[in-house]
Amino acid sequence: MIITDLLGSRVFGPDFLGFVSDVRFILESDATGQPARLYGILVSPHARSSSLGFERSGVRSPWPIAGLVRWRHRSSFLVRWNDIERLEVDRIQLRRGFERASPELP
Amino acid sequence: MTSNTGSEASRWLDAQLHLLDRQVLDVDGVPVAVVDDLELSEVLVGQEIPIDTPPPVITALLSGPALATRIFGGRPPESRMQRTLWVDIVEIDVVIRLGVGRDILDLAWTEGWVRDRIIGRIPGGRHTPQGEPNDERGRS
Repeated sequence: MIITDLLGSRVFGPDFLGFVSDVRFILESDATGQPARLYGILVSPHARSSSLGFERSGVRSPWPIAGLVRWRHRSSFLVRWNDIERLEVDRIQLRRGFERASPELP
Repeated sequence: MTSNTGSEASRWLDAQLHLLDRQVLDVDGVPVAVVDDLELSEVLVGQEIPIDTPPPVITALLSGPALATRIFGGRPPESRMQRTLWVDIVEIDVVIRLGVGRDILDLAWTEGWVRDRIIGRIPGGRHTPQGEPNDERGRS
């Protein structure tokens, strides 16, 4: 599988939830050669495109762009890998009772 | 909403934000590619994923003719994408640095082909302006 198979896919819980706007990976440390494990998917209810990271950080400038992008990606959330039930072409099904996590980068 | 979990030393990478479209430099700092896509390890598609299935990992950075498919959809043929193994990466920052030279990567084959088949056949094309022979690493 390649990452562009996931980006932009439609995400469903019981109903349609949004689109995959990004995919988050975690490295256990900064050491060279660490595997990058898929941590979760970022779901944006209103936009399929990349959000430039404004809703994932405290960046507020330049304010017209930050404001517009934040508005387009309002109510975005992160879904962890264990809450993904099924991956299909252009469709991701989440498990019943999946958890919405903050999309902000730690 | 809950917060992300991970140890203090963990590093987080968002594919679009931190990896895609980044320039890739080889061990000598020479640009060799741009990240157009990421290859993931085996994952079940079209079937239910059992709980506690280990998450996929990134196995390679892919570079190739991805512009048209980004605009119009679809995906380029797998054979047209050049792979850079994830384990060859030594640093991820504004650019991605590799620990290997460009001559052992598939990414440099067009440059090598042009050097050997075209430039090398031009009189004077097999040495530098100072008269030193061209680097012939990776020639087949």
